[in-house]
Parts: sequence; structure tokens; C-alpha cells
Amino acid sequence: MAFPTLKPTGREFNAGDFPIKRFNAQSGAEVRILYGNRRTNATLSLSYDNITDANAQLFAADYDAQLGTFRTFTLPSDVRAGWTGSAATIDAPPTARWRYDSAPVIQAVRPGRSSVTVSLVAVI
Amino acid sequence: MQKAYTGRDGRLLIDGSEQIKVTSWTLTGNLEALETTSLGDTQRTYVPGVQEFSGSATLLYYSEASGRNDAATALKNILKVGSVSDADTVTITLRFVQGNAANDVSLNAWITSVSYGANVGEVSSAQISFQATGALTAVTI
Repeated sequence: MAFPTLKPTGREFNAGDFPIKRFNAQSGAEVRILYGNRRTNATLSLSYDNITDANAQLFAADYDAQLGTFRTFTLPSDVRAGWTGSAATIDAPPTARWRYDSAPVIQAVRPGRSSVTVSLVAVI
Repeated sequence: MQKAYTGRDGRLLIDGSEQIKVTSWTLTGNLEALETTSLGDTQRTYVPGVQEFSGSATLLYYSEASGRNDAATALKNILKVGSVSDADTVTITLRFVQGNAANDVSLNAWITSVSYGANVGEVSSAQISFQATGALTAVTI
């Protein structure tokens, strides 16, 4: 089972950050310590509005196949539909892969039609 | 045969009974359009959603010699002691007649709004609005 190859109707990407610890002195001075050189915790929220129930079911099936939030996976190019920049820009950082951040939410719209929202997080 | 329909051809039936002294009726049908436009698309796309039908009518507040007052009967769908129950749906038929032929749209509906009043120098009338429940039961227009 692979992530459904559907074009989303909405997409929100957050690039995450490098592992940094910040310390603030009482004077207000800030010290930052970099603990790694790989960006992590990028997030991707995808929405698929008014898709068929059969397609909505694919997300539930994939969530099952990935053992919920356990396994990591890569995403098909359809997820980046409409993006004309570099594909890598809105994908998981190098060496990272996606996993479900939470279960897909399937909202019934009308008989045979549903809207699905998926939240993913990139992990090393 | 060519024919332009006018108010003379209009009829309103509630629960199968042709209403007296109807001055107007309207029916509106709506179809919800569910957007399916995806990222990367350059034109919006839609799939059909839920249909909805509603309308209104105006009846003169008129009492026949027999005591029949259709406007009052319609008003009493809401103007009543006690609450509205499931049994208070009505069957509404909006009709255009052409000779003996009837061009109908029929539906089951709730009377959702009623109003009437009295004004000096005017004939009193009752306005009712209705909201269809379920699919149309007949369309022969």
C-alpha cells in the first residue's frame, strides 16, 4: 500500500527547523546551541475536498498499512501538484521521510462524497 | 401549439385540493455544487451536491359561502395551539394548465413561514413559504 496518488485541493507546508537549543540570560542575551546539521520536524497538511468515498477510503487503508503513525514513507509527486518550484523544497528534508502525524480525518459531505485532511511530519 | 403561460394558467394545490383565490406562487430549485478543483488545475471543477426546493405563495384571505377559507387553512399549519408534528407536512402541487393538460411539479413540504394582515383600503392576503422535504414527487412540465 502506498500513499494515494491524488492531487490535493489544499496544501500547507512548514519547513521545520534544525535542532537548536536556546538559552536566555536574565540580561536578555540569547545563546543558541546547534545539536545537529539536519533539518527536522517539517510538516505537511493536505486536504482533499469532495473526493469520492472510494478515494477517501484509500487514506484510511494507507494509514492502516503504515501502522498508523509508526512507519515512514515517501510521497508521490501528485502531492506537489501545482507547485512549480523545486520538488525538494516542499518535500521531506534530505535523509528524512514522512510519517502520519495523526490519523486522516474523513468528513462526510454527501452520499458518496467526503473530504479528507491528512497531517504528516518529516522524521529522520 | 404556441402558448405563453400567464397567471391565468397557474394553479396551486395543497394536499390535492385546488386552492381558491391564489394570486401568486413561486418555486425555486437549487443544486449545491461541490468544488473538486485540485492544486495545479486552471479551471474550477464541480460535482453535484444536494438538491433543494422551496417556494412561496400568496392567497387572498377569502371565505367562500360554504365557509371554506384556504388561506386560513394554510396559515393554521403554523398558527396553531401546540407544536408542529411530523404529520403536518403537506403535498404541494404547482400547476400550469393548458386545456385539459396539467403541467405539474409536486413535492412534500413543510410550511415554514406564514404571514397575513389587514390594511385600510386593501384586500387581506396570506403569504406562505414552504420548504420541500425529499425529492420531487412529480414533474410533468
